[in-house]
Amino acid sequence: MRKLMFFLPLALFLGLALFLLSGLFSNPMERESVSTDKPLPAFNLPDLMNPAKRWQPEQLRGETFLLNVWGTWCPTCNAELSYMTELREQQGVKIIGLYYVLPVDPLLGESFDLAALQADVSNKLQQRGNPYQFNILDFDRSLALDLGVSGAPETFIIDSLGIVRAHHIGDINPQVWRNKLAPLYQQWRQLDGGSE
Amino acid sequence: MKAVAIKTVCWLFTLLLFSLPLQATEEALRFENETQRQLYQELTAELRCPQCQNQNIADSNAVVSVDMRQKTYDMIMQGSSRDDVLDYMINRYGNFVHYQPPVNRYTLLLWLAPLLMLLALFGLQLQRRRQQAVTDEDEHSAEQQAETAPSEQLDAELDKLIEQYRSKK
Amino acid sequence: MIAEYGQLALTFALALAVLLAAVPLYGSFSGNQRALLQAKPLAIGLFVFCLLAKLALVHAFLTSDFTVINVATNSSSILPWYYQITASFGSHEGSMLLWILMLAGWTALVAIFSKGLPLLMQGRILGVLGLINIGFIAFSLFMSNPFARSLPFYPVEGMDLNPLLQDFGMIIHPPLLYMGYVGFAVSFAFAIAALIGGKFDSTWARWARPWTLAAWLFLTLGIMFGSWWAYHELGWGGWWFWDPVENASFLPWLVGTALIHSLAVTEKRGTFKSWTVLLALAAFSLSLVGAFLVRSGVLVSVHSFAADPDRGIFLLVFLLVVIGGSLALYASRMNSVRSQARYQLFSREVMLWGNNVFLLTATLVVFLGTLFPLFHKELGLGTISIGEPFFNQMFYYLTIPFALLLGLGPWVRWKQQPVKPLLGPLSLVAVASLVLALGTLAAMQSVQANLALLGLLLGAWVGVSALYELYQRLSQFGSVTKGAFKLHASHYGMTIAHIGFAVLVVGVAMTKTFSVERDVRMQVNDSITLAGYQFTLLEVYPLDGANYGGEAAEIAVHNSKGQFISQLHAEKRFYTIQRTVMTESAVHARLSRDLYVSLGETLPGNAWALRLYVKPFVRWIWLGGLLMALGALVALLDKRYRRSGPVATSLNQTEAANA
Repeated sequence: MRKLMFFLPLALFLGLALFLLSGLFSNPMERESVSTDKPLPAFNLPDLMNPAKRWQPEQLRGETFLLNVWGTWCPTCNAELSYMTELREQQGVKIIGLYYVLPVDPLLGESFDLAALQADVSNKLQQRGNPYQFNILDFDRSLALDLGVSGAPETFIIDSLGIVRAHHIGDINPQVWRNKLAPLYQQWRQLDGGSE
Repeated sequence: MKAVAIKTVCWLFTLLLFSLPLQATEEALRFENETQRQLYQELTAELRCPQCQNQNIADSNAVVSVDMRQKTYDMIMQGSSRDDVLDYMINRYGNFVHYQPPVNRYTLLLWLAPLLMLLALFGLQLQRRRQQAVTDEDEHSAEQQAETAPSEQLDAELDKLIEQYRSKK
Repeated sequence: MIAEYGQLALTFALALAVLLAAVPLYGSFSGNQRALLQAKPLAIGLFVFCLLAKLALVHAFLTSDFTVINVATNSSSILPWYYQITASFGSHEGSMLLWILMLAGWTALVAIFSKGLPLLMQGRILGVLGLINIGFIAFSLFMSNPFARSLPFYPVEGMDLNPLLQDFGMIIHPPLLYMGYVGFAVSFAFAIAALIGGKFDSTWARWARPWTLAAWLFLTLGIMFGSWWAYHELGWGGWWFWDPVENASFLPWLVGTALIHSLAVTEKRGTFKSWTVLLALAAFSLSLVGAFLVRSGVLVSVHSFAADPDRGIFLLVFLLVVIGGSLALYASRMNSVRSQARYQLFSREVMLWGNNVFLLTATLVVFLGTLFPLFHKELGLGTISIGEPFFNQMFYYLTIPFALLLGLGPWVRWKQQPVKPLLGPLSLVAVASLVLALGTLAAMQSVQANLALLGLLLGAWVGVSALYELYQRLSQFGSVTKGAFKLHASHYGMTIAHIGFAVLVVGVAMTKTFSVERDVRMQVNDSITLAGYQFTLLEVYPLDGANYGGEAAEIAVHNSKGQFISQLHAEKRFYTIQRTVMTESAVHARLSRDLYVSLGETLPGNAWALRLYVKPFVRWIWLGGLLMALGALVALLDKRYRRSGPVATSLNQTEAANA
């Protein structure tokens, strides 16, 4: 018994080593989302290109879609545009953009200029491809905060009832789409008809 | 991993271009009383920036921290309590966002393990002393020699102490 | 070419480390004296080659040799020369080389200053240090070579040193910290040597004590400077964030502190033997675990180096060999140990045991707080964060009994302490503490501040008790002046370190209770009053540094009577190469409070955002750390530690005397 006690430190250390080993193969920055399986939060936000038009969650029901949080200022978001355009054109994936506006820095003498932003967005979408049905302008990032968005790009799968079914933090590339998002998207997509 | 790295870089870049603007004239945020101010400072120190490496939202200028600070401020000004704000944030960003871990049957270990170790180590000493008392009786004289011999040669201070101790006795 | 010479020197160092591990250890098992005698020259040679490698790397930085990847990614030609030198340990690769240099340095020091040790012990200790050297040098050479070139394509300009690291703190913090981490390798080697020999009586403890004290001294200074650096560099007025990397340095410090106390018991009373060996193994093991946490990327930290799983695997295997191996050795050897010393419940032995129990519990708290999020996540339970609220809560409850015990401990004699003689002096100390604490709070016109009151009470209890005990001790020599020369340096060291702890506790409690901060928007000539100090923004003007631009603000501070106190100079720098904004906060420091200003962004309407702090007693935190380190230094000067040479002869002498 007394002898066994001297083995305790070794046993504890070996246990620790196991955790450290498994920790090496996982990304410590990854956190699980708590936004899934909840309905889209309430919002009433303007369309990016046509601000007179307002969007509310009820209007987005009826079909499973991807809600992609992005901004032209974010290089990773720009990089995923062309692949998402492919998804839209070849697989008919419905993607709606949630435009993530940055706080304006008066140091650079900027003030919020919607026309300039629209021009910038059209320009970018023309260059890289346009995966979006339309873009919702989250001018004060309130919807982003409600959805638990920590930055861009992030993507949500929303089912036909307007319930968030998946939350992906990071970019969409062929690997992520095939392994993680496509199966979920197909699963909820199939239920679209029945749930109406 | 790589995607995260790219994302981090992209964020650093935006931080650089768009640091946070503070509105208001004298104080950046106006509070009605000292309790509100303290609550705000406490909460922004305890909430973790979900975007950063390891920073609270008070010390980080990431956009999401700016928004979370603003939300915290707004909620406090609308009369929300500390728990209201924490619930709001945890409902959106998970337990990750609060530097105080939730209490459940796994995390209970965080409090129990140190307590158990404390008790076990003190228990070890008590048990040792009990054994000592038993062995004392038969090994008394032999032990005394073994124990004092090295210390007497090696430590003048101890000599002195023992002498004092003996003389007082 | 110089960089290649550096790599060559490091390769030679590896070869020497292999020899150092093999030859003396072989000698120790075979009893071959010639093999044992090789340990010293090999250890010194190892250090010389590590030094050459380090100098070669510094040369590459000073000459801005951008063909070396490490230089290109961490330095630039416009970086001031002193930061070019510090940039040589600003990256993972470079800091690893610094770590190796320190390790080889300790190894050489042990070789030089261990004349008094039996040859067999010397061989074992240096052999174990050689083994540890092999691991780190191999890691550097094969997994993170600081001399790697990017030929034929190399940049014309470097990417510059991370602006956070362009600070005086970077010059002193890492070397001190690494000296501390690596210094515990010496205690570790002594413990392993004792385990191999199967003798863990008071002898090894006496030898290991000064080395452990020295390592602890460096680690204390390293942590303290790190805290001070973060405070004045990051612009948030914080001095400890419980970040995993900070905790990684705190863990070996806590165990090292326990070890210092436990070594005293083992040396003087020949008891706590297996426990002390375990602590010596644990202190260095936690240094290693810390290095793994910082360099493998398993945890998220503000300070960590770029992560690489391959490096993580290498380090983990190294950890398994060193820690696993040593603990297995421990388990196999530690079964027949019987403690011989007897002591009563109220004795210094038990007091020091209490010290160890609380320090080890604190270690477990920090350890779990750091690693539990990883366990939680790997078990599939989701992500959680553990930070300041948790640690503050736990340390609050741990500090109270610990400080109470600390005030009592030095009064208690070895073996047995009658209670009665202590009642008088201790009640005097208690009354004095109460008066001091309440008096201070009354002077600050705030009596209901619980944390401050508690901190002051505990601090005064420890401090007054330490001083009064010193006085009593000195009087025992006849008169205080006579005693002042006769008392051993280590006793002074203990008193100073304990007062340091008291000062630290007071500093933490007072800062936590009375600090105030404001985020304000100011135009030139605007003023704001905070905690009785009036801050006035005098002017803001553009900056033009060697590798940065930005803005500087001049702020005048007056006290409540309108007297001028100081003009503060705060900067916001924009580093052109790394395109990063850095705040250089302005601090006006006094023993009783810091005035702290950091300059934020420019706001519309010719205004600036400023963050102002008044932080009472914050200096006491670092002053306490300094005092603890000073205590260790004074204790190291104790003559008894340098009686090393004649250990053998003194044994003979006393034998003669006894006869």
